[in-house]
Amino acid sequence: MLNTGGLSLDQAPPIRVPFAFFLAAPLFAILAGGFLLWQGNLALLTRWSPAALAVTHLIALGFLTQVMCGALFQMLPVLAGARVAAVTRVAPLVQGCLVTGTLSLSGGLYWGGALWLVVGAVLLSCALLIFIGAAGLALARARGVPRTLQAMRLALLALLMTLLLGGLLVAVLLGAPIGGFTHWVDLHLGWGLLGWVGMLVMGVGYQVVPMFHVTPAYPPWLTRAAAPLVFAGLLVATGLTLTGSAVPAAWGFGVSVSGLVLFAVVTLILQRRRERPRLDVTLIYWWTAMLAALAAALVWALDGRVEPIGVLLLIGVGIGLPSGMLLKIMPFLSWFHLQHRQVTTRRFDVRLPYMQVFIPERLARIQFGVFLGALLVTVAAAGWPVSGWGAWLARLGGLGLVVSSVLLWWLQAGCVWRYREISRRLG
Amino acid sequence: MADPLAPRVLDVRRLEPPEPMERVLDALTDMPEDGRLWVLHRREPFPLYDLLRRLGYAWRTLGEEERFEILIWPADFPPSRSELDWRIPC
Repeated sequence: MLNTGGLSLDQAPPIRVPFAFFLAAPLFAILAGGFLLWQGNLALLTRWSPAALAVTHLIALGFLTQVMCGALFQMLPVLAGARVAAVTRVAPLVQGCLVTGTLSLSGGLYWGGALWLVVGAVLLSCALLIFIGAAGLALARARGVPRTLQAMRLALLALLMTLLLGGLLVAVLLGAPIGGFTHWVDLHLGWGLLGWVGMLVMGVGYQVVPMFHVTPAYPPWLTRAAAPLVFAGLLVATGLTLTGSAVPAAWGFGVSVSGLVLFAVVTLILQRRRERPRLDVTLIYWWTAMLAALAAALVWALDGRVEPIGVLLLIGVGIGLPSGMLLKIMPFLSWFHLQHRQVTTRRFDVRLPYMQVFIPERLARIQFGVFLGALLVTVAAAGWPVSGWGAWLARLGGLGLVVSSVLLWWLQAGCVWRYREISRRLG
Repeated sequence: MADPLAPRVLDVRRLEPPEPMERVLDALTDMPEDGRLWVLHRREPFPLYDLLRRLGYAWRTLGEEERFEILIWPADFPPSRSELDWRIPC
């Protein structure tokens, strides 16, 4: 249960704070899709190609981390029962540094150039350290929903580790004499994808899956064990790498992966047992993301190519899950803020629309269909990049990602437009 | 046949947010000025309380895991002892 005994809208940030993050994020997915469309299978042949590195950071930072920052700024006051300090000044600062830092780093990784890498690393450090500080302070004070808070605190520590390792890798690219480059990259990826993304999805999922899909609660054994398992695995992998035992470090990653597999399987089982038979697009996005995570774990366990694993995690989970949540959360926040505004202004003559009106379900399903096509085609392109069709599949996947992200942005913009229109009528 | 004198109960346990709140606010619009509304909910609806307070309603919540009973009344017309003691049948 949320610790919201004193919850009122006064504690939440102004709606423009999360919406600014949510509206900017799809632009980075469009850029990533544009890179794929332009570079074709060069971006999928190897994870070391400049195009692959640029696309990875555009998605991981520009889309995923941006949505997560906006969502946490919105959720933390609700969970913590306390406002994030100076959120209207902190949030734009974080977003400004995140946007410019991501563009600079991605440009530096693709075109080379020490200046772009350094500027990107500095700006991203500013963005993420300010964010970790503000969110960490609120999480440290938070009470209630202990398992969600535990997963979120661990996710924030994982983000810090990802940032530190990212800084180390930029230093290596600039010529610092540090050995074992590939192992540090593996750790950076592990802390970023399994730690930051995986544990945050868990923390959010423990709350939103039972609430929005009317399922039974997650079993206590899972909420107690899953996130600590992921974190412990990453610690073991890091420790083994530091002591020069990089090969057995894979066992640490295995422990982390098993934590996420457990979460994904239990989520799918809970969603099968949901009370409402209605299949909304957010639910379908959750299924897709959980199945993508399981498929990625399977390919990893079978020692398959890492590129399709990256596509499944970055596009399937990293773009898919936030997209599905945005299609639910943006209408919900719009409706909730308008409801409060109506009560404050006493304008009961203005009829508020139901939540589904803010983002029409039929259009959201079309958006999902394009996204799913893009995901499947890009996974195929990453699995068989040197086949005759590889280049065309990669470009087709890129085009699909561009179209689905434009559609997502258009649906979000429509939601904001409807919100503003009704808000104006309420005075 | 439904008892016409039975309290009005709104069961929103199988609805996803924000439908429970939408249904409660719709029901309050139709409620007479000295009326009461019993709501059966699967979570304690904290966000609803702030709206109720601003709209001039008072409430009392009894509950446990997955089953919460919320009695809502206009703040100017508090419930009787028997209304407070009444429980929604399982």
